[in-house]
Amino acid sequence: MTTTTAARAAQPTTDPAVSFENVTKSYGTVRAVDGLSLALHPGETVALLGPNGAGKSSTLDLLLGLRPADSGSVRLFGTTPREAVAAGRVGAMLQSGGLMEDVTVREIVALGCALHPRPYPVDEVLTRASLTDIAGRKVNKLSGGQEQRVRFALATAGHCDLIVLDEPTTGMDVTSRQAFWATMRDQADQGRTVLFATHYLEEADAVADRVLVLHQGRLLADGTAAEIKARAGARKIAFDLDGADPVDEQLLRALPGLTRFERHGATVRLQSADADETVHALFALGIRPRNLEVAGLGLEQAFIALTEEASK
Amino acid sequence: MNVLVKLEITRALRNKKYLFFTVLYPAALFLMLGGTLDGTTKVMGTELTMPAFYMVAMASFGALTAVLMGNSERIAKEREQGWVRQLRLTALPGRGYVLAKTASAGVLSLPAILAVFAVAAAVKDVRFDAWQWFALVGAIWAGSLVFAALGVAIGYLASGDTVRPVTMLFYFGLSILGGLWMPTANFPQWLQDICAWLPTHAYAALGQAIELGNAPHARDVAILAVYFVLFTGAAAWLYRKDSLKA
Repeated sequence: MTTTTAARAAQPTTDPAVSFENVTKSYGTVRAVDGLSLALHPGETVALLGPNGAGKSSTLDLLLGLRPADSGSVRLFGTTPREAVAAGRVGAMLQSGGLMEDVTVREIVALGCALHPRPYPVDEVLTRASLTDIAGRKVNKLSGGQEQRVRFALATAGHCDLIVLDEPTTGMDVTSRQAFWATMRDQADQGRTVLFATHYLEEADAVADRVLVLHQGRLLADGTAAEIKARAGARKIAFDLDGADPVDEQLLRALPGLTRFERHGATVRLQSADADETVHALFALGIRPRNLEVAGLGLEQAFIALTEEASK
Repeated sequence: MNVLVKLEITRALRNKKYLFFTVLYPAALFLMLGGTLDGTTKVMGTELTMPAFYMVAMASFGALTAVLMGNSERIAKEREQGWVRQLRLTALPGRGYVLAKTASAGVLSLPAILAVFAVAAAVKDVRFDAWQWFALVGAIWAGSLVFAALGVAIGYLASGDTVRPVTMLFYFGLSILGGLWMPTANFPQWLQDICAWLPTHAYAALGQAIELGNAPHARDVAILAVYFVLFTGAAAWLYRKDSLKA
């Protein structure tokens, strides 16, 4: 994780697309964002993960200039968030974004295009968001998934450099979701920075080339999905103990690299940051595990392991 | 921003309830209130005939309805629904939303004024010089800006649930006490003393002065100017407070 950041820092790139420096935001006594520092670079597709209340939405609000930070600095392309938004460099799709009532889909999308300094043609935006068929429908008569597509159309009404999406596929069915990410990959391929918060970890795993894990307003992990999995105790090891071969559980618990230990009767389930070392030590104990399985963790389990560990 | 103004007007024209209350209602009310008396009786406390008095009162009332209702209720609702937040993700400057709302309400208040004038001239034979008609439209239209600012302030003060009663309180209170529905000369003296300082009273007085062939009184213009500054200041303060909450 540090390696990628260092490698990027070494490149004499222009201003980062997004930079947070020691940003803090509290609501009353609750610290929603707590000394957050991060930098996103042009062209990256970044997933923002975190349990509910981790500060994802607050972070996005600060990033988009919807709320001011208590302290620290938030910069987009070297300018303030509001300046970047006003210059049309940011396309954002928020869950909480309401829509204008009593107007048609086409009218509201046309408005989005008209308000953008570098707009795309309205028809193109409608097509990309799969809204052409319902362009004449009133905005207040749409289903949740259709509304979500209108928000997406508004976020992509013009040429922008950073796309920010908060739970973008909520309310979409599987097909729409796949089509959505295909479009997003297109956007990223054109050099745009894409930042999305999501609850679907498989999306983060499949789409993002960098994952940020937020917990209690702090950055818990920052790296590729593979790196996050490795960091969380990337491998799970499962085996059965031979009943005829009594084992001291303390010895098992002391195996190197363990991040999690579970035992149900003869079955032992482990998570390890270094599976090779763990299995080696297991055999060194003189134990003959049966049905030994060593497998990678999904990002979801890695995520749970990481946040649980941090909560302790 | 022009597109936003245009879209605001389009959707307001689609909203039949809003259209009825802003454009037709004041003209209908004029016929009801001003239609029973002949054109020669002078209204108590003024030098104006009944139809002339009610024409200005109802035109002012119509303009007030258009700008106050158009701003307050929609702003409060759209704030709650997150449309305001959505707009803040566009290049539209922060004030653009409020200005577009006010501009579109201003455009819609014009037919309200003209409808009352047309009915008054056609049905009740109200006659004035050409300059008076133009001055009336101009004064009533310009004066409505004061209430547009009040509408914005209420829109940012009230929540979606409370905005209607709050608006109604201001709407009826200002209309009745300001003498838009009936001459205030019937009120007890102590109430009249209060009424004389209300923005709606000064607002109607603008038109009444023009009807009598005079320029609007400096005192009325001054009262309206003070209220405009007050309401705009409150609206700006509430708007800024709201934008910090996202």
